[in-house]
Amino acid sequence: MFELFQYEFMVRAMVAGILAAVMLPVLGSFLVARRYSLMADSLAHVSLAGIGLGLLVGSSPILWAVPVAIAGGIMLEHLRQSGRLSGENGLAVLMSGGLAIAVVLAGLAQNQSVNFASYLFGSITTTTWSDVLLLSGLAVIILGVVGFNYRQLVHMVFDEDGARIMGYRVQFLNYLLVSLAAVAVVLAMRVVGGLLIGALLVIPVLAASQLARSFRGTIWWSVVLGVLAVLGGLAVAFYAGLAAGGAIVLAALVLFGLALLLRP
Amino acid sequence: MSKKKIWQPSNEPLHAGKQQLLLDLDDVTVELGGQKVLADINLCIHRGEFIGLIGPNGAGKTTLLRVMLGLLQPSKGRVDFADSTKVAYVPQRGAAMGGAVPVSVSEVVSMGSTDREAVSQALADVDLSELATKRFGELSGGQQQRVLIARALAGQAHMLILDEPTTGIDDATEIDFFNILKRLKKLGVTILMVSHDLEAVLEEAGRVICLNRRVLYDGLPQQFEVSSIGPICMRPSIGSCIINIRR
Repeated sequence: MFELFQYEFMVRAMVAGILAAVMLPVLGSFLVARRYSLMADSLAHVSLAGIGLGLLVGSSPILWAVPVAIAGGIMLEHLRQSGRLSGENGLAVLMSGGLAIAVVLAGLAQNQSVNFASYLFGSITTTTWSDVLLLSGLAVIILGVVGFNYRQLVHMVFDEDGARIMGYRVQFLNYLLVSLAAVAVVLAMRVVGGLLIGALLVIPVLAASQLARSFRGTIWWSVVLGVLAVLGGLAVAFYAGLAAGGAIVLAALVLFGLALLLRP
Repeated sequence: MSKKKIWQPSNEPLHAGKQQLLLDLDDVTVELGGQKVLADINLCIHRGEFIGLIGPNGAGKTTLLRVMLGLLQPSKGRVDFADSTKVAYVPQRGAAMGGAVPVSVSEVVSMGSTDREAVSQALADVDLSELATKRFGELSGGQQQRVLIARALAGQAHMLILDEPTTGIDDATEIDFFNILKRLKKLGVTILMVSHDLEAVLEEAGRVICLNRRVLYDGLPQQFEVSSIGPICMRPSIGSCIINIRR
């Protein structure tokens, strides 16, 4: 039954998946509370433009995707704060624009369609130990930054005006949250792919929201449910020969359904 | 040269001994999109006052609050707080908090202070200790307002600014709510409350400010009823200054 543990690539996949399942829902809790559920998808689509650019110029796609995603996120936040575009409309523009640029750039890059598809749909089973190491370092940084700014971030996502009155640097906190999400989305893209990464950021949080009474409780529940979704999805994918990314997101959806039924 | 403030509490026996200046608005004008939303506002607010701010829709009440809270910079004039004055804001729509993701009552109050004792005490002060672990979003409108007041208390606020706190709450809850505000006033907390509920303002507040882009009236509630502005305001069909007069 535990045959999957005998394969090193599956162990690597599980470790990478668990790391993603810890940091993505933590950031997702703040984004969903901020009513930015579509932010992850938008950032992922924008980062795909960076991936396409990397493939076109023939250098590391991830190194291109990170700054492109951060720039896209900060631009969106700037437009929202300046009142020129509502958050919802900005996300729609960012999402479609990012994906359109990505498709065009990837099309221009010769013989890179397989490579591009691995970022679109994920390739968790090809994760290397250096990928795992990178994800571990990032998870530590993200959890550290969130922990250090926890109180301010909580105040900001639930009551932005109140946070300003308290003297918190709301603009900086918004940019910080978006930037952390951008980096996390890009580096965790291999787990479920750019098209589905938003699901791993949002669905465990929505499921946790059904079960928890507090924001802190939501974060803990979302991490537990995220890890369960990754492990369950990987196991099903391994034994049933399914695509790992899709199986993980479907597992998360099953947990969401159960949470809806079990809501106290 | 700044104009003389309309309200001079030092001349009023009702406010004797409560003259410590907390907030001073000097010739404040706000223009938004080329439109003058507030013009030449001159106000002094003193420690321990309970002020009712009234006016028609679009009078600039919320804009004035945002200027006082530092969320909006005036186009002209100055807003000065006494040193180390802590101001807390109780927004009109607290229910928006915790809609998508739950936030507990104690977490909301903890936004005002990290001190757990202060949080517990503040919840006790508004008679909501037993609801500390409840979801904020599941509380009634009146309870949510009390939680937000507890947040201000936990943060040791000197001044409480409330935007339409009694909108959508029943009469019994409103009585409890005003009892809490009276207790706070006795503790020396300054209260500025925007309200459409003229009767409640005249009953509860020690000072009434009627705003319609300019300050139309600033004085005692008793005199408001016989002033040149009051009778107009109290006739909704003509004045439309005050919206809701309970019968």
